[in-house]
Amino acid sequence: MLRKTSSSPVVSRRRFLGGTAVAAGSLSVLSKQASAQVTVPVQVNFGSPATTPWVWPLAFARHAVPLPAWEALDPPVIPADHQRYDEFAPVKFYDMSVTEILSRPHPELAESRVMAYQGSVPGVTFINHYGEPVLCRIRNDLPLELNGIGSPDIITHVHNGHHASESDGYPGYWFSPGSFRDHHWPMIYAGGDWREAKGTLWYHDHRMDYTAQNTYRGLAGFFLLFDHLDSGNENDPNSEAFRLPSGVPDGPRWRGCYDIPLIFTDRRYDANGVLVMDVMNMDGHLGDKYLVNGRVQPYFEVERRKYRFRLLDGGPSRFYSFWMSNGMTFHHIANDGNMLPHPIETDHVQLGVSERADIVVDFSQVPDGVNELYLVNREMQIEGAKPEGVLLSYADSNQLIKFIISPERNVVDHSRVPANFRPLPEMDTPVVRTRTLAFDRKNGMWTVNGRIFDNDRADITFKQGTAEIWRISTAGGWAHPVHIHMEENRILSLNGKPVDSGILHCRKDVFTLYPGDEMELYIRFRDWTGRYVMHCHNTIHEDHAMMVRIDVVP
Amino acid sequence: MNNRIQVVSSDPSVLVQFANRRSALRALMIPAGAAVLSGCSSVTRLAQEPAPAVSDEEVGRMRRDASGVRTFKNYVLYDQDGRKLYFHDDLIRGQIFAAGFGYAKCQGICGRISGNLVEASGMLGGLMGNPVRFYTFSLAQDSPADMREAMEIRGILGKPGWKYLTGSPEAIRYVRCSFGFFDSGKEDTQGTPATHTGMIRFGHHSLDKWSSCPGLGTPTSIASSVGWLLPPDRRPEFARMNRNVPNSARAIPGWTPSKPLLAQV
Repeated sequence: MLRKTSSSPVVSRRRFLGGTAVAAGSLSVLSKQASAQVTVPVQVNFGSPATTPWVWPLAFARHAVPLPAWEALDPPVIPADHQRYDEFAPVKFYDMSVTEILSRPHPELAESRVMAYQGSVPGVTFINHYGEPVLCRIRNDLPLELNGIGSPDIITHVHNGHHASESDGYPGYWFSPGSFRDHHWPMIYAGGDWREAKGTLWYHDHRMDYTAQNTYRGLAGFFLLFDHLDSGNENDPNSEAFRLPSGVPDGPRWRGCYDIPLIFTDRRYDANGVLVMDVMNMDGHLGDKYLVNGRVQPYFEVERRKYRFRLLDGGPSRFYSFWMSNGMTFHHIANDGNMLPHPIETDHVQLGVSERADIVVDFSQVPDGVNELYLVNREMQIEGAKPEGVLLSYADSNQLIKFIISPERNVVDHSRVPANFRPLPEMDTPVVRTRTLAFDRKNGMWTVNGRIFDNDRADITFKQGTAEIWRISTAGGWAHPVHIHMEENRILSLNGKPVDSGILHCRKDVFTLYPGDEMELYIRFRDWTGRYVMHCHNTIHEDHAMMVRIDVVP
Repeated sequence: MNNRIQVVSSDPSVLVQFANRRSALRALMIPAGAAVLSGCSSVTRLAQEPAPAVSDEEVGRMRRDASGVRTFKNYVLYDQDGRKLYFHDDLIRGQIFAAGFGYAKCQGICGRISGNLVEASGMLGGLMGNPVRFYTFSLAQDSPADMREAMEIRGILGKPGWKYLTGSPEAIRYVRCSFGFFDSGKEDTQGTPATHTGMIRFGHHSLDKWSSCPGLGTPTSIASSVGWLLPPDRRPEFARMNRNVPNSARAIPGWTPSKPLLAQV
């Protein structure tokens, strides 16, 4: 729930965005102060019904279950539909349906009609491994006459997947109820380089013009990837393995699990407690209820040991600044699901929509007698367009999860946070071109370089195996988390300053531009050809054509 | 021709508080017989009815009635023939529509947007008029005569499904803001003729489906956006799933459509 700002606001550590002096007072005061020329104030919506926090425990999606070896997909896969299918012949097959179900996020709210991957909101959790190619059939079993927000058409994108275009979830490749699509996920390192491994990915609907509505209504889930180093086993006898806290909860089986995916979303409910979305808002939709893994303000019982939390900003438009309520530090180990070269000890993590952060929190460091802590969001945001750049005080922050800490001290914990993870690959592919891409707005229309997304027009033709420099920027008073499909890329500079250390010195797939920012990126596309996209991942902006089609060509 | 019952009241600002005309009648205690027919009205000048101010809290606000149906305020508007229409009751309720903003003498983006809309309407063909309607709301208080002239120039006067609409600045501001086309938290320029919004709002009220796209996109994107409001099996061919793409989707053998869930308890 949004609350009043701090009486002594603290400037965000990244930067103070607004340039507006924020005085003590309520949000309504703030909104009027945001500009002296306001003729229409920030969008105001009705409030959701009150809910009691910490009533339900944190919930987890079930793991996606592959078909047994003796069961074949019917009708069979058409290998010729896929690039390099025989080279990466699937060893695991999934058959997943998308349906409409009823889901209740809190006992004091109603059941709402949502859309679900394999009957689960969030969607079932995929656990996959490098070197084990996957074929996933996704069936659209939604009603033809789907009432309410969203489209009955779907197309599934594995966010940060290194997949061929025809299996990437290109927004224009949507399909309607009564149809299925096969997705070939080869599970290979980009460029064949083990340093390019990805870990925390997510999958979500990407139906052109309806991504915000379809994901808001439930179509999102985790997709986790492991290899010989990030092996998902804290007792791994392999001396090179990271041995991070391990064990991903599988539905009700969460005790003894210490690798915890958390998708953060914000939602609104009407007076009856039914899910609603303000689809008329062009800047972005903000909820007034914080959900974690589909539940409003859940609690989570933890042991006094290390936990790996995979934080995901599931949008549609909210930014987060995650802190522990006691200010304790933790290790930030992965940015956008990619292991950093080295862990960074910090007391907070900032995420834009669709960004991920893996952190390791050591609850053994919590003093005896302290049995409750909260994960809080201190980012102040009063409109969908951007955060305010103001850090809320702890007292005014928004509590997301309540950790109930076991008093038991004798806990076995073989997990560790190693000093080194994966080194960053060299940027040794010669640069053949530099492009400038300005994310802007004109006459109320979101644009990139003044252009509007056209499914039938390639904006960028990129020669496979080459490298380019892209300068991305945003003007006006908006923030844009820019996502690029298929490959991860590197930030060379931010606002003219080289990025050669810190949390941005890594591989990323989302580049969050705050108002006035300019980033220089090193871009490569390898291994696959076809249509891909780059877009703002404030999904409201994305759905209103702030997207660029990229054709990767041989 | 609009031959629906119009309510005559000395205080129409009371009326617009009610999305439901019957509720309004009851509230005003006006017997049904006191209402008059205005179906053949031939107003040539824009009547300036007083309109209520929209409070800040109501701008862009989600409004739903007790059964969860999205509602809009019943502002009074006039079409190109001078017919008096109510925003919610006549233009939204039960309608499938595309709605844009402009003004008759616009030398800016209106020409391109209108051209795109005209082409899009051609793609929609027989759907125009029933069930699809195209609205253009005037940002400059154009008179019905101005609007007729603009429609004639654009070749759409008398074509099925087209309506140009004008009204008081308050009414148009409400329409624009309720469709989400305003600059949040900064100087609002989207209603100013020189910098006005180029977005198109699409709605299918009874299915509660809403989307929008830039009017400066392609005619195909506008026509598709309308088509995508409809259930997939009732869409025009160009708005159906494209099977001519790599790894295109295939039919699920023996599939029968699942029924929509109705329970919301």
